[in-house]
Amino acid sequence: MLCFVALGVFLFLSIFSAKYRPLARRALDCVAKKATLRPCDTGLDEEIKAASLSGIMKISPGAATFVNRHFEAFSLAFTLLFFVSLFFAAQGLYNFVIYGNCNGFEGGFCIYSGVQNELFLKAPTSLDGVSAGNPNANITFVEFGCYTCPYTKAAETGVHDIIRNYGSEVHYVYKAFPLPSHQYSKEAAIAAFCANDEGKYWEYRAALFENQTDVQLRGQAAFSDIARRLNLTGFDACYSSGKHNVDIQKSADECTASGIYGTPTFFVNGKAFAGPGAINDAEKEIKRLLGK
Amino acid sequence: MALDAKKLRADFPVLSSSKTIYFDSACTSLKPRAVIDAEAGYYSELSACAGRSHHSLAKKTENAFESSREKIARFVGAKPDELVFTKNTTEALNLVIRSLDYSQRKKVISTPLEHHSLLLPIMEQQRRGAVKMEMLGVLPDGSIDESSLSAIDRSTALVAMHHTTNTTGMAAPLEKIVKAAHDAGALVLVDSAQGVPHSRVDFRRLGADFLAFSGHKMCGPTGIGCLVGKKEAFELLDTFIVGGETVETVSLSAVKWKSAPKRFEAGIQNYAGAIGLAAACDYLSRAGMQNIEEHEKRMARALIEAIKSIPNSTIYGDQDASKRCALVSFNLKGVQPHQVALMADSMSKIALRSGVFCAQPGMEAIGAPKEGAVRASLYLYNTEEEVRIFSETMQKIARL
Repeated sequence: MLCFVALGVFLFLSIFSAKYRPLARRALDCVAKKATLRPCDTGLDEEIKAASLSGIMKISPGAATFVNRHFEAFSLAFTLLFFVSLFFAAQGLYNFVIYGNCNGFEGGFCIYSGVQNELFLKAPTSLDGVSAGNPNANITFVEFGCYTCPYTKAAETGVHDIIRNYGSEVHYVYKAFPLPSHQYSKEAAIAAFCANDEGKYWEYRAALFENQTDVQLRGQAAFSDIARRLNLTGFDACYSSGKHNVDIQKSADECTASGIYGTPTFFVNGKAFAGPGAINDAEKEIKRLLGK
Repeated sequence: MALDAKKLRADFPVLSSSKTIYFDSACTSLKPRAVIDAEAGYYSELSACAGRSHHSLAKKTENAFESSREKIARFVGAKPDELVFTKNTTEALNLVIRSLDYSQRKKVISTPLEHHSLLLPIMEQQRRGAVKMEMLGVLPDGSIDESSLSAIDRSTALVAMHHTTNTTGMAAPLEKIVKAAHDAGALVLVDSAQGVPHSRVDFRRLGADFLAFSGHKMCGPTGIGCLVGKKEAFELLDTFIVGGETVETVSLSAVKWKSAPKRFEAGIQNYAGAIGLAAACDYLSRAGMQNIEEHEKRMARALIEAIKSIPNSTIYGDQDASKRCALVSFNLKGVQPHQVALMADSMSKIALRSGVFCAQPGMEAIGAPKEGAVRASLYLYNTEEEVRIFSETMQKIARL
């Protein structure tokens, strides 16, 4: 049964590496035999089963026994799952080509598209946070980010491009989203607030992203080092005082209210953008609003 | 002096490069550095042909080839002119079975335990109407039913059978069989593919008329095998593959054939293989065939104990280790033999063989299911520590 799954997987891998082609051929042979109600004698099923059971056995012999005893059922389940996934993948691809979003006309979260469904992500109700650009502009550009998140760091160039190119027509606001899954996320946000107190937020923010690995490893020691390099004389006192805890909490509450599930998430006049293509789609939206 | 397997392992490059626990020596053995170097030496230092040209490189090749023949013949207690080089055991068996004259006697006796390489040539001869095949009986423990030796009678041309089976590792009672065959005036062909590599074989003492074996199962190269035969027995064979160097003279109306062994060595020979096989004989002689045999008995005992300790396991053949070389075929209840072999490889890098081992009727005769069995076959380079890892791995797989 697993040869159906194997055929799909090995065919796909064969595009990138020739070493999978003999396996794909064996899987194809097996599928052809199964499809014509003949027994598969390529041995591929057995090899897959042996490799799977050996792998599971290293983790849990009991689980390996269970899987072995119900292997046909698992094979059937995986095969069905494979075909269902294949169907949805094809449907998503079709929607993306036709509508520009995997979910089609109604939109929603799509890994290939930054445009998000407003049912899931709601625009923040305040514009509190560190800001740049024109506070009186008609376009608000809000970012929920994390200083220790690699994806926020990756989007940073795009954010700066928007501020530089459209700063007079856009009001940019940054809201820290202290993600528990990112080491020192909350602490980095406090450190950035402290730098802001001394008027060196942007320099400090740039240094945080630049030294992200070091920050994730050393935490407060790295924050202090950056502060020293930027001559932030009141940094250590500010950082230990806990004076910005309330700002962090407020920001976290806003994230929860907006339904943020990952960073960076952008809002352009309330329209949500998240995922890998978010910054590009947000820029397109700004340009559209500006008629550019 | 006991064989030091741990020390010998350093001689086998594959063992250090792959870290595999190699338990598939009945299929083919690993090759020591000395054999690899000897075979490569032909290509780097000689690379000429023997017995044809007269330049010095050809002479050196001729000397190396013939001294290899001498060394290999001596290894099995035969004379150099009693040894024909073949491609492998299969070709050697085909040579005898297909070239023997069956005009006076048509019966060929064999056993169901044989490798396909021996069974199929007989079956093909039977299909052509040249011979009538009869089988000796097999007892439930995988041994030959000696009461069936009465089938060997004056109509028997040839008794063709194993020295040691590749399914149970048990040896045939050749002394009795050879006597019964010779008493009836029949020839005896012994498939010693699993015999010569694992025990001291003396062709004279064995008394058989033909003895076939392969180089690659005894630490030698692939592509080289031998057919050892008594001079008078070779005279009874018709030509097999003919060509260059098999003849004294040729005219369009008459051919004068050379005598054995040259009559059966048509065309350019596998000189590198012969030189490599001679190096393998040297290697095994240095280790001592008696030491190897004792080491294998120890390994067989350890293997049998390891498998017997697994609940619901089945060992095929007699469980007395003294009757085997270090080869055990077995099954674990509820797990297909191929699964066992694949998982052993994946879990502990243990190389095992699974299936019917090119001996389908033989597997049926010893009571194995149609899927066959798992076979662990060890050699001089295997250790007790490897058997311990094998045992632990099998225990885990058996719990599936």
